[in-house]
Amino acid sequence: MTVSTISVRDMHCASCVGRIERHLEGVKGIVATHINPARRLVLVEHASDTDPVSLLQLIEDAGFQPSLARIDRGSAGQRDLLKRLGIAGLAMMQVMMFAIALYAGAFTGMDEAYRRLLELASLAFCIPVVAYSAMPFFHSALSAFGHRRRGAGLSMDVPIALAIAAAFAVSLAHTLSGAGEVYYDSVVMFTFLLLAARYVDDRLKARFEDANASLGNLPEQALVRDAAGSTRPRNLAQIEPGSLVWVEQGNRVPLDGTVVRGTATLDESALTGESTWVRRLAGEAVFAGTLNQGAGFELRTTATADATRMAGIAELAARAQAGKAPLARLADRIAARFVPAVLALAAVTWLAWQLVDPERAFVAALTVLVVSCPCALSLATPAAVTAALTRLRQNGAVLTRSDALEQIASVDAAIVDKTGTLTAPDPQLDGVTWLAASALSHDRLLALTAALERHANHPLARAFARACPDAEPGALSDVTVIPGAGVSGRFGDTRLKVGHAAFCGAPEEDARAVFLTVDDVPVARFDIADPVRADAAAAIRGLQAAGLEVTMISGDAVERCAELASELGIDFAARQSPETKLEITRALQQRGRRVLVVGDGINDVPALAAADVSATVLESSDLVKSKADVLLLSRRLGALVDLVHIGRRARRIVRQNLFWALTYNLTAVPIAALGLMPPWLAALGMASSSVLVMSNAARLLGRAGAD
Amino acid sequence: MAILLLLIPISLLLIGIAGALFLWAVNHDQFEELDRHGFDILDDSSGDDS
Repeated sequence: MTVSTISVRDMHCASCVGRIERHLEGVKGIVATHINPARRLVLVEHASDTDPVSLLQLIEDAGFQPSLARIDRGSAGQRDLLKRLGIAGLAMMQVMMFAIALYAGAFTGMDEAYRRLLELASLAFCIPVVAYSAMPFFHSALSAFGHRRRGAGLSMDVPIALAIAAAFAVSLAHTLSGAGEVYYDSVVMFTFLLLAARYVDDRLKARFEDANASLGNLPEQALVRDAAGSTRPRNLAQIEPGSLVWVEQGNRVPLDGTVVRGTATLDESALTGESTWVRRLAGEAVFAGTLNQGAGFELRTTATADATRMAGIAELAARAQAGKAPLARLADRIAARFVPAVLALAAVTWLAWQLVDPERAFVAALTVLVVSCPCALSLATPAAVTAALTRLRQNGAVLTRSDALEQIASVDAAIVDKTGTLTAPDPQLDGVTWLAASALSHDRLLALTAALERHANHPLARAFARACPDAEPGALSDVTVIPGAGVSGRFGDTRLKVGHAAFCGAPEEDARAVFLTVDDVPVARFDIADPVRADAAAAIRGLQAAGLEVTMISGDAVERCAELASELGIDFAARQSPETKLEITRALQQRGRRVLVVGDGINDVPALAAADVSATVLESSDLVKSKADVLLLSRRLGALVDLVHIGRRARRIVRQNLFWALTYNLTAVPIAALGLMPPWLAALGMASSSVLVMSNAARLLGRAGAD
Repeated sequence: MAILLLLIPISLLLIGIAGALFLWAVNHDQFEELDRHGFDILDDSSGDDS
């Protein structure tokens, strides 16, 4: 039995799901099909001898473009954590109830027999929590000791594990001896809260690893023509340079190469971020990852799968990312110093009491460990981070790694890409003015214009493709493209021209308008908008008000950038390549600035990877999303401003929390060491300092619109 | 209060069952694909027999 994961990017709706399901139903060898429309994945359980490629064929027959996903996620790890969390939660509910009874009993008096019963019941629920739920902490603590290098990196898991083990051990000893306090409630609650924080963190990470895994969505296989002339699919990794590969319409170009047969009409936005379709004639180079929007064509490969341009950009990004200074978590840095101190203090307490009063040594040392249990300290950061992530999510921004929050707070410069980030993702056909009558209907003329534009290598062509998606370029003959002017062609006996005013002999001179002529008579004028996002100006002002220096960078021409930049009141750099974008980011960083980079194209990826914080928009490709720290879910750029504000508030709250937790620990520890604190007060102190820290973090959730 | 001697062991048993059910549910994919069922209502093709 094998499970194949198939990615079907063009599965958008429930009826698509049904269609695929029906096509796979009852096919020999298929045991079960699970479809996840949200992630656009089809999971097929099938007999081991069924070829996954035949499954692709079946889905293709249903009218989709499937590819074998390279997703092999460790959801087993998450499932494991969920089980541990669930068990801890169930046990916690019980133990807390018993604890209330025990606390009440301690004040009002309780029969010895019932106290013992409640303690034994608590113990019964505590055993699975310690022996099962808390296991990851013990493992991690042991391995932290194993990998320890001269004082560096005693992780927070060490005191956590020690506190759990010690509190449990002392409670167990007290239960068995029938005298003394028990801390089962603290053990269970502590374990549950820590696991919950870890689980939330894990889920967020897993969601974004999906995007990482699909890496620009390249197919796994390509259609290769061999010497005998027959075409069959082969794995990309096995295709050598010089092979002939057929690229079907609507598919991604699998490998870099040169066109040998046919003409390629490519959407290179995955590689360049610019939403222009380009034509590549025979002999011209095409790149892996670009999308074939026109008819099928054949290419001769020039590189192996791991040497394509897209792979090169991904590697550049990986290197930039590796060059980042490793940012240890603040809490862990403190813990690294705090933990050995606490351990030493507990040991010293024990030794000192051995000399004074050996009877009390064990309890005093354990009280020190319990009271100084860095519970609040370890919750201080995750609680605030979780609250901030939730708040950001409500405001339309998702963080792909939670430690980015720390860097967001210190950002003081922003680099924003123009096309697709400041402007809306696609140009739009704004309006049509009909200038003269024609034998053909308006709808027909619009469709013909769109069909002509399909041949053109022009940024505005997309506006027509969107306005009239079912245009058929095949209906036209004698199509000629005159770069920088327009397209002409024939529909039956009618001569058509689409292009700017001068090309069409139209009276007006408006650089943004496109005209259509029928037999040299201008009949229509199309207004095209490459609109700036509705709140771009407000968002830029918001960022500037927050003290950020904002720069716009773009691969676009100088004039187009200048116009927009002056409108928004920001600096700009036009005609930038991926490498120079990276240089600009690095230069800012060398001047001591913390840089936020916002971009959407693969050409922005190196800069995004080098940035202190990188953000991208929802429309960007999976590769970009996998490299970005922040994903903006809404079309609202204002989310960037919220991001900075919430990041700063989160940092403030983390610092307050750490301050409180440290103050509590530093005051309580000496008192406990002197044996002046009863163990129940230690446990109460531990719990209440955690509550304080948690409720402080919860302030991040409230006050909607306060920023 | 003697009833506690009976009720507490019963609660142990019930939570044991609840825990086992929870583990069963996790192991049988009940917490996977939580998004999927939100889409089902839009799916005209399912439930053809109605």
